[in-house]
Amino acid sequence: MKRTPLYEEHVKLGARMVDFAGWDLPVMYTSIIDEHAATRTAAGLFDVSHMGEILVKGAQAKTLLGRLIPTSMDRLIPGHCMYSCLCNERGGVVDDIFIFMIGEGDYYIVVNAATAEKDLAWINGHNETSAAVIDVSAETAKIDLQGPRAREIAARVLDDDTPAGLARFQFTHVTYGSSPMMVSHSGYTGEHGYEFFLPNANAVKLWTGILDAGRDLGLKPAGLGARDSLRLEAAYSLYGHEITDDISPIEAGIGWFVNSADDYIGKEILVAHKAGGAGRETVCIEIPGRGVPREGCAVYSGDDRLGTMTSAGFSPTLRKGIGLALVRRGTAQAGMDVQVEIRGARIPARVVRRPFYKFHD
Amino acid sequence: MSTIPEELKYTKEHEWLRMDGDFIAVCGITDHAQEMLTDIVFVELPEKGLDLEKGEQAAVVESVKAVSNIYAPVSGKVIEVNTILEDSPELVNSDPYGEGWIFKLEIKGAAELDDLLNADDYAAHVEAEK
Repeated sequence: MKRTPLYEEHVKLGARMVDFAGWDLPVMYTSIIDEHAATRTAAGLFDVSHMGEILVKGAQAKTLLGRLIPTSMDRLIPGHCMYSCLCNERGGVVDDIFIFMIGEGDYYIVVNAATAEKDLAWINGHNETSAAVIDVSAETAKIDLQGPRAREIAARVLDDDTPAGLARFQFTHVTYGSSPMMVSHSGYTGEHGYEFFLPNANAVKLWTGILDAGRDLGLKPAGLGARDSLRLEAAYSLYGHEITDDISPIEAGIGWFVNSADDYIGKEILVAHKAGGAGRETVCIEIPGRGVPREGCAVYSGDDRLGTMTSAGFSPTLRKGIGLALVRRGTAQAGMDVQVEIRGARIPARVVRRPFYKFHD
Repeated sequence: MSTIPEELKYTKEHEWLRMDGDFIAVCGITDHAQEMLTDIVFVELPEKGLDLEKGEQAAVVESVKAVSNIYAPVSGKVIEVNTILEDSPELVNSDPYGEGWIFKLEIKGAAELDDLLNADDYAAHVEAEK
């Protein structure tokens, strides 16, 4: 099993470790509910060093990326990042990614751990340009500081107060422990926060430094369990669940980033989906009464099976069962009563507006 | 180290049983089980009047991440369920042997009780599972 540079820190903190995509990672330290609540009210600190980082460099870097993603590369300016995905020929998703534009011909891509090798092969396999594609995952640590007190805590740890001035999806480089560190105002929790990318060698220093600096403000280390419950409340997609090789971004409800005029892979299908041709859509469902939906639960309207839950669970913030479901398009509008099948019983549920938890800045 | 009261009987599936007189068995999940599950957010109770065979699924306890089946430690009829858990499932975490009891069975006889583990046996079983 692979270990991040923070493995010993997790063990010291008494974390419960699990195998996640071949990585030994903390699912929780004390309690998913407590770590979730800390992130919503103060701050949570996440080790996500397992995630992949790929550099795309050279005069033709933009051309290569323009061929791979359905989002217009012209929307990206230096010092900013954007969410998009790598699409296959069928309009399905190879992976969802974040692209950071460091400068002209200099891009930094963040990918999922489980798909990093597949992504690299995909990018290299479709590279007909002179752009260089360099995998820096192994030497890069990633630490996310998320929550309403994140700005305050970051200011205590960094000598440089520039991160405090970053707009959402803006990033900068600072010096930390005599090495460069990338600091981005972004995250995966629905809260204000930062993502730090730094060499493995400085990961322990930053991790312990942030924990010490934020302790009196309510900061807690937070595991993958809280990361998942937080992203579910924010209705963010998780690769392998809402988006797969067989589900298009439009079907997953992230079609807003499909806007490129370039000739990208999967364009014909995505354009058709965007024009109303998708067979399915993703909706938010909550259970007003008792019952916790889980991934795989069938969603019904009377005897009509509309689709299936792609991610679901208990929302610690809303104190009820919530989930995302992939259903036949047009069969489930916000406000509609539906039923979710849990252990053979049809439990009353309701389609609600996306997201469950509105981004809190 | 989790709490394992001396006076209770246990199963290898981490249920506990306390006899209340000769025919009523109060059942729940152990301190170790609630620690493993962590934050319990939902308990599905059995129907009152249900006849259960020993080892048959009686209830479901869910945490944020996991779903865990609870089995009848002995055969019997469900005569009472802890409806307080419907609104306060966290009692299973905070007081697993007290307020967090899950169901009561009316048993036919004491024979099956001999198959259950005592506190020492259960402690050894928990240790062996680690």
